[in-house]
Amino acid sequence: MRTTRRAFTGLIVSLVALATLGACERGGGGIKVVIADYSKDHTRPFWQGLAETYTKQTGVKVDLQVIDWNSIDQQVSTMLQNNQPPDVLNLNSFSSYAKDGLLYTADEVLSPKTKDDFLEPFARGGEYRGKLYGFPILSSARAFFYNRALLGKAGLAGPPGTWDDFLRAAQKVQGLGQGTIGYALPLGPEEAQAEWSIWMWNNGGEWKSGDTWTISSDKNAQTLQFLADLANKHKVTQVNPGKTNRTDGAFQLFKDNKVGMVMGFSPLAAQLDAEGKVDYGVAPMPTNTGTSVTLAVEDYLMAFKKKGNQESVKKFLDLYYQPENITRWIAAEGFLPVTKSGLQQMSTNAKLRPYLEALPSAKLAPTTDPAWDKVKLDVQQNIGLAVQPGGNPRQVLDQLQKNALAAAGGR
Amino acid sequence: MLYPAVLLIQASLSQYSVTGLYQGGVGARNYERLVVQEALPTVVGNTVVWVAVVVGVTLVISLALAQFLNLEFPGRRVVRWALIVPWAASLVMTSKLFVWIYDYYFGVLNHALTRLGVLSAPVDWLGDDQTVMGAMIAVGVFVSLPFTTYVLLAGLQTIPGEVYEAARVDGASAWRTYRSVTLPLLRPALLVATVLNIIYVFNSFPIVWTLNDRNPGFGHDTTITYMYKIAFKSSLRDVGLAAALGVVNVVAILLAVLVYLRAVRWREQEA
Repeated sequence: MRTTRRAFTGLIVSLVALATLGACERGGGGIKVVIADYSKDHTRPFWQGLAETYTKQTGVKVDLQVIDWNSIDQQVSTMLQNNQPPDVLNLNSFSSYAKDGLLYTADEVLSPKTKDDFLEPFARGGEYRGKLYGFPILSSARAFFYNRALLGKAGLAGPPGTWDDFLRAAQKVQGLGQGTIGYALPLGPEEAQAEWSIWMWNNGGEWKSGDTWTISSDKNAQTLQFLADLANKHKVTQVNPGKTNRTDGAFQLFKDNKVGMVMGFSPLAAQLDAEGKVDYGVAPMPTNTGTSVTLAVEDYLMAFKKKGNQESVKKFLDLYYQPENITRWIAAEGFLPVTKSGLQQMSTNAKLRPYLEALPSAKLAPTTDPAWDKVKLDVQQNIGLAVQPGGNPRQVLDQLQKNALAAAGGR
Repeated sequence: MLYPAVLLIQASLSQYSVTGLYQGGVGARNYERLVVQEALPTVVGNTVVWVAVVVGVTLVISLALAQFLNLEFPGRRVVRWALIVPWAASLVMTSKLFVWIYDYYFGVLNHALTRLGVLSAPVDWLGDDQTVMGAMIAVGVFVSLPFTTYVLLAGLQTIPGEVYEAARVDGASAWRTYRSVTLPLLRPALLVATVLNIIYVFNSFPIVWTLNDRNPGFGHDTTITYMYKIAFKSSLRDVGLAAALGVVNVVAILLAVLVYLRAVRWREQEA
């Protein structure tokens, strides 16, 4: 949409007009804060307010840039190409920046109180070579959404707990006819790595074992074959699941009462509640191992090393991490906390309970590995090919594994 | 104008880390790597088909439309205005609209065609490998029509009425008049329309990007969207390599236009 056009403009800027940007952004004395746009209603107002408070307290000006997700990667890349890095950056990856030696560690720019408040798994998810570089800014967790009315019509008492139950449930819902779909499986490029992670983990597979990538393990081949069979053998998914994105594909179908089950997250629940069309429930992920695992996603704040900015950056981060600030924002955006104080405050919210309960058993993608930034894109672009008619799951995984090893070994 | 071009060439000779950090010059290595990319032949083939078919079909339809709009008829002004709409709307909005028109489950196209009995079952226009390129080309033609039609219409209006009178006096048929009078005199306008369209369509990012965003791999990309994917959306994540393709793109489009102009003049001399 609009965002894609901005993405394109970003491309032109980055590849062609490097010159114009380079010259004029060198502001004196202030700090540049780059934030990803989580929502039109809350992101800019919150950070604008925070920046004003900060300037009032410290006298340091803030150049605030709120950039949409579709173009933030290339805009930040352009800033770095121009030798104009931000001072504070919010992104869904950090380890490549840490690897390039661009970032301050937590000890350099966070007060001990702030650092100790982080929930343990999220703090670990921001470490590179044993040091905290990616400061958790917020988190989210996936959950299993099911359409109560459709499952009831198909004669099912509740959501499935195991993969066998899941397949039976999907077949029964699909069997209702009239275009009803058992399970909406989005393996298109938008977020395929998230969908894949959850299925993989619930069959006991892993991205990595120790320091080695294990994408093409037998377990994972079995999992991908299971997904391919859902599509081509049992035919309980929507058409072309390898070419369906999450937002305008799977979620859209679920919102239209066409789908029995889908993996969603709290923003989907908010949309469903607002529209009030679907009678849905939220449950743990079906598992093939006895233990249900979900995916938690953590986004990061990082601080770029620049001459003379350490104090200003530290004060800014400490202001954001004051419990009332961070929790107010996370709650407004509908995401989950990353701090102990935030967890305490938000646990009273009944709507968030399914996700908060899932958090302890949640796993993170291997974002601490700099190779992940490439592996993720590779999975997004290619895993969908495996569930197309005639697709070869084993071959797709082998190729992903090969590329992951190359990314890990390369520069 | 020159400075960005210099920077693009410079970038194509350099290596950058995933984060965009400059890591030194690598000479022509990005170009060597570009040539051996597995997806390149497919992407180049897609680009040729995309440009040739969109420009060709657009010109044929625009010729007819321009002829029609050149007639005197009631409501002509309204029709002329209506034609501008797809031109005035943003390309991304138009593309997004077509995504919904083509949608397998919700799209009006499947709905209409199955109702009319043209199709027995709905088609996944943007997911089926057989139909994606055609679906994109249709949108490409749709948005190129207004500009092309107006250029040709302007050309038609420069043709003086006397030459048609002379043709009539000579007893030429309508088709004969069109071929021997209208088309030759329309030549400058056609030339301008073709060259500009080749450049626009070749460089068109939003249509291919938006309509193809659900498809994995590079099977339906043109060199422009492929360049973007190399830089930011594939495991390559390589700005230097993308810049190399950018340079190749600029050179390719210049060559294509030159070859076209050459061919046209050559035919002119022969005639």
